Parts: sequence; C-alpha cells; structure tokens
Amino acid sequence: MTEVPEHLLKKAAEARAKREAAAGAAAPADDTPASAAAPVDEPEEDVVETDEQAEAALQVLTDQLGDAILDSHIAPGRGLWIRVAATDWRRAATAAKEALHCQFFDWLSVIDWMPSPYGRELDAEQDERETSDPEPMEWGYTGGETRFQMICRVHSVTRHIGVMIKADLADDSPRIDTLIPVYAGANWHEREAIEMFGIVVDDHPDVRNIYLPGGFEGHPLRKDYPLLARRMKPWPGIVDVELMPGEAS
Amino acid sequence: MGLVESGKLPKPLTKLLNMSRKYSMWVYQWGLACCAIEMGAAFASPRYDVMRLGVIPLPASPRQADFVVVSGTVTDKMAPAVRRLWEQMPDPKYVISMGSCANCGGPYWDSYSVTKGVDQIIPVDVYVPGCPPRPEALLEGIVLLQERILHEDMAERWKGDPIVVQ
Repeated sequence: MTEVPEHLLKKAAEARAKREAAAGAAAPADDTPASAAAPVDEPEEDVVETDEQAEAALQVLTDQLGDAILDSHIAPGRGLWIRVAATDWRRAATAAKEALHCQFFDWLSVIDWMPSPYGRELDAEQDERETSDPEPMEWGYTGGETRFQMICRVHSVTRHIGVMIKADLADDSPRIDTLIPVYAGANWHEREAIEMFGIVVDDHPDVRNIYLPGGFEGHPLRKDYPLLARRMKPWPGIVDVELMPGEAS
Repeated sequence: MGLVESGKLPKPLTKLLNMSRKYSMWVYQWGLACCAIEMGAAFASPRYDVMRLGVIPLPASPRQADFVVVSGTVTDKMAPAVRRLWEQMPDPKYVISMGSCANCGGPYWDSYSVTKGVDQIIPVDVYVPGCPPRPEALLEGIVLLQERILHEDMAERWKGDPIVVQ
C-alpha cells in the first residue's frame, strides 16, 4: 500500500472537521468509537444518491408487479436485484422494459447453486473438512429455493439504473418462458442457457446449439459436469512450492 | 521427377533444390484466436516482416499454400474444418503450431471444448511456444522450418507412405 500524500491527509482532516462541526450543530454527535478511529471517511452523499435511485426503481417495479416480487436486494452503486417466480418471468421483464424504460438488454444466463462435487480445487484451509458430507446449498442475493436460477440483467440508459431479475427453475423439470417477445436480444442468450445448463425455454423459435458442436452430450456449465483433464491431472496452480524471497521454510 | 524419387540425385543438387524451395514458400495463416494478432504482426507489418525470409503470406486458397501456421485455440467445433483444410493442401506441406493453445491446449487444457493441441489432428513440424509468442519467435520458428527443409531428403519424402484422404 502506498502512503497517502500529506496534503491530501490534511484536506481529508479539514473536511472531516467541517462535517463534524455541521453535524454537531444539527444534532448531538454520537460517540461511536469507529468515527473517532477511522482515518479517512467515505463520503456519504454518493451512497445515499444511488440508494434513492435504486429504491425508486424498486418502488416502480413493486407498483407494477406487487406480490410477484418475492425478494429484492439493493447494492448501493451497483444495482437492484429482484426475484420472481418462474411464471412471472415475462411479466417482470415487461414491467422493467415499460415502466422503468430498461431498453437495453444486457445478458441472460442461469446460475447453478449446487456446490461442486469435485471441491473447489484450491488449497484453502476451509476446504479441509473432516466429514465428506455434501455441503449445503447456499444462495446469493435475494435467496432462492431451487438448484437452477434464471437471471437476466436489463439496463436503462436514460435513468441509469440496472435491474437483475432472477427466477427459480423447478428442480424436476426446469422450464421457463422465453423473453424474445419482450427483448429480441435474448434469443442467443437463451440458446446458450439451453445448451449449457439443460433447461427448457418455452416457445423459443430456434433451439439449436450455439457454442457447442453438434452431437455434444451433456451440459458443460452444470456443476456436476466433470472436466476430464482435471480429473486426470490436478490443477497445477494449487501450491506454491517455491518459497517467497526472504521467507524461511 | 524420376531422379528425385529414385534417390539418384546428387547431394549438392538436392541441397540446391531444397534451398530454392525453402526461400519460396507461400504460408497459409489460420488465425483462430489472439495468436492471430501476433501472426498478423509478423506477416503483415513492416517491422517484423516475414517476406525478407522469402515467405509470402496470404495465399488465395489452401491449395496454393506450402505451409500453414495454426495460431490460436483449436476448439472441438473447429477441428474438422482444420483437418479438411490441411488435407486440401498439396504436398510437400508443413505445419507450424503457434502458441500454447495450438501446441497443447495451453491455458485451456482443462476445457470441455478445446482440442488439446492441434497435433491431435494434423502432424506438426515446428512448435512455437508462447502465449502469445512474439513475432520474432514466430519468425525463428519459420527459420527453423526452413533449416529443416534444407536438410530434407526429398527421395524419402517422395517414397513415403501415400496420403489417403478419407
């Protein structure tokens, strides 16, 4: 880490003092130990601004979809995630496109939440487990219940908000509606999702392989698809055999 | 040439024929991935000029090519096309495998869709390692190929096993 130049440190201290004086005048200052110990404070204005925008977008979508939104998550500065049921998939995309003016279709894919049966193939402490029980499945933002989740991102260029829409796909027969009537660009993304994960997209006009050669068996991006080369030979990047300069063994 | 096949050609004449052959090569480029950029620098830019070695790039078709530079990742989807185009080249033909993807699969050795090395489908004469190799490295590979051609026994090559196109 490089040292922060002195003149910048002085500027940060002056700004902090000014802000604390203003806060002290408006309300009694709370004496949290963190505020005294933190060397450089992050400006709070930026975070609040993006929150408001994302929350406004979430409000617009909630007005449109109501109970269809099962869960939502806002990452300040990064975007808005919402999760809907698979039956409301096209409704949610239509709401994003029309109510939020999300005209730009970014991408569409599938998340496989099953922990890899081959392990993480890294030499990390957390990977040395005593038992060989299968790890519990964990979901990310906005949770989930099934192994496969469809996810798509749409973006509004005019309102500068990006929305990620997720939907759970049923475990026994993962099917979902196509987004092509809403976003024509979803065509090739759905073809990739079909061949790589083995899900079914209803009413897709052109179900054929887009990346994989014809006659390819299996669905490669599923977690339980074996990489045969790795099974034969472990990944050589696991352990640094050579000591760093200056290190004793 | 009946003299060449029967091996009755005197050595200096073979050397002369080989020398004239090695300095008049027409190279077919298979730019499949990032190595194609370095190959383009080696073949088409004035700095790493390949024409000074007597090798001219960009033939009109594989049927007019003397050797081919396979540069880039060969996927399983592309492999039949690589094989077919190599079979369309007339003898004597040579193959330079450029970059680690074409040599052995490279950084994608564990992928589900990559052919681990183009020598799984076509015979390779010179391997140029690198990711990507510098244009000078490719030029050295071409110089090595030229050296190999110079010391080649044309009689052996003519009398070799017939190449059967399936």
